Amino acid sequence: MQKNLHKNLRIKIPFLVLLLILCALAGILLGSVPLSPKNVLRCLAGLDKDSTTYILVNTVRLPRVFGACLAGMGLATAGVILQSVMNNSLASPNTIGVNSGAGFAVMLTLMCSGSSTAMRLPAAAFAGALFTTLTIFGLAYMADSSRTTIILAGITVSSFLNAGINTIKLLDTDITVNLTTFMIGSLSGLTFDSLRFPAAAIIAALFLSFLAAKSINVLNLGDDIARSLGLNVTLVRLVLLILSSILSGCVVSYAGLLSFVGLIVPHICRRLFGNDARCLLPCSALLGASFVLICDILGRMLFAPFELPAGVLMSFVGGPFFLYLLFTKKGGRRVNA
Amino acid sequence: MLEFRQVDVRCSFVPILNDISVSFQKGKITTVIGPNGCGKTTLLQCLNGSSKVTSGSILLDGTDYLAMPFKERARKLSFLPQVRTIIPALPVKTLVEHGRFPHLGFARRKSKKDNEIVANALDFAQIAPYAAQYADTLSGGIRQRAFFAMTLAQDCDYIVLDEPTTYLDLSGQRAFMEMLLQLKAQGKTVILVLHDIGQALEISDMLVIMQDRKIAAAATPKECLRQHIIEEVFDVRLKVFSDEKRSYYFFY
Repeated sequence: MQKNLHKNLRIKIPFLVLLLILCALAGILLGSVPLSPKNVLRCLAGLDKDSTTYILVNTVRLPRVFGACLAGMGLATAGVILQSVMNNSLASPNTIGVNSGAGFAVMLTLMCSGSSTAMRLPAAAFAGALFTTLTIFGLAYMADSSRTTIILAGITVSSFLNAGINTIKLLDTDITVNLTTFMIGSLSGLTFDSLRFPAAAIIAALFLSFLAAKSINVLNLGDDIARSLGLNVTLVRLVLLILSSILSGCVVSYAGLLSFVGLIVPHICRRLFGNDARCLLPCSALLGASFVLICDILGRMLFAPFELPAGVLMSFVGGPFFLYLLFTKKGGRRVNA
Repeated sequence: MLEFRQVDVRCSFVPILNDISVSFQKGKITTVIGPNGCGKTTLLQCLNGSSKVTSGSILLDGTDYLAMPFKERARKLSFLPQVRTIIPALPVKTLVEHGRFPHLGFARRKSKKDNEIVANALDFAQIAPYAAQYADTLSGGIRQRAFFAMTLAQDCDYIVLDEPTTYLDLSGQRAFMEMLLQLKAQGKTVILVLHDIGQALEISDMLVIMQDRKIAAAATPKECLRQHIIEEVFDVRLKVFSDEKRSYYFFY
């Protein structure tokens, strides 16, 4: 298995990195105004500082690609973590209402403060995400609920919070956020300025999650056995829940309620690369980033000059996949460990 | 020696164990027996923290066991719980390798020695042929031996097993008892819960008999038989048949 792990890391990860690089390049080149690779390269190298290409690349395309990568990495990693912590194959930032919690907190902050500073939104989103995560987890833990009950509770909580988001938007017409794109998740209009704080937090949380991979593997054996192996189950759980809240909260703060990345990417990776978190975490992060990038590019291309938010395409792909998981036993079983 | 001193366990203020004092001798096989619901599992669960000790102390070779960090505990005492809430979809070998977890740190990766210990554990539990198979596709008996091998891979002096024979058929149980005797010969201390009293009488050096969340007796099997404690606690009658090799116990 050790050998397998190394084989996985040596062959599959470079492949996924390559895929991500290709997607990122496509994200820079393609769009309502296609750019020529030659001009883009010159701009990336720091030449032609006055050309429209330079401005387009640096203020529109690059932040957008960067934001999409981080969104995919963050949500996919949060999905892997939540599935392990809750021992539930259907858990993800979206299905258990964490994203809605973050979204509600974002709207609440916007309503109360009017103008949004770069740091306030991610912080509020994190708080909202953590609060929702702990609520759902508390319910699941106390009631010892089945995996369907937890998901039902999550759906209920998230519809409750979505109602809250809608109410705020309707009551306070000054809010600058476009409700439709926020609820479905979109990456348009990102700037490096708005990304600075969430990006730092996401990268730090990703790094810490990768360090926790071994503990995640042991946690997957079940609480009793994990304790016998000397894992501080309560502490590890709490830390992982906080990490997943940072990840999904920060993404929501700039990209809205992107759905399904956190659910389907971990599942695809489990099938392709197995359940070992040391491999699963980096693979999910890489594939998640590519997936969001591809959906974003398609959204920009399909009906150009009109733009579909990335979230719309994700739901088109993710919805049927989620149903497939719900109705096949295998999808559930393979995960539970 | 593993020593429980006036241990209390409460679960949301309901006392489960009250003032339990009992000791398990080093290098011996001690079996805990008792009717259902008498607190055997709770007693053992104090050792991995699944049951919280509310007062009293546990001493392992004279040091305060409950004050040790979790990983250090898991390097000295390996405990295989009874309940399987999750059947991991992992190859048997990976499952057994998890037994090395308490010995590995951030910096320390698996060495040749770790791999040897894992291979020995697989051999000892006689599941080496299944090493590559996924645990969730195996029969209950083989899966149980895989978990047992994981516990062995922890390589501890103290091995605690909660109803290890539940999932095993008759010949599997016999083979398992042989394994326990081998472990004892290697100098390990074995503490286990069994439901088959005949087996317990046969392999144990000491019996700890529990009744109504209390220790009813802690003595050698011979002494327990002589004082008719088992008959009293389990409300059964016992007939012992002997030939030149061994004794056979019949409860009715």
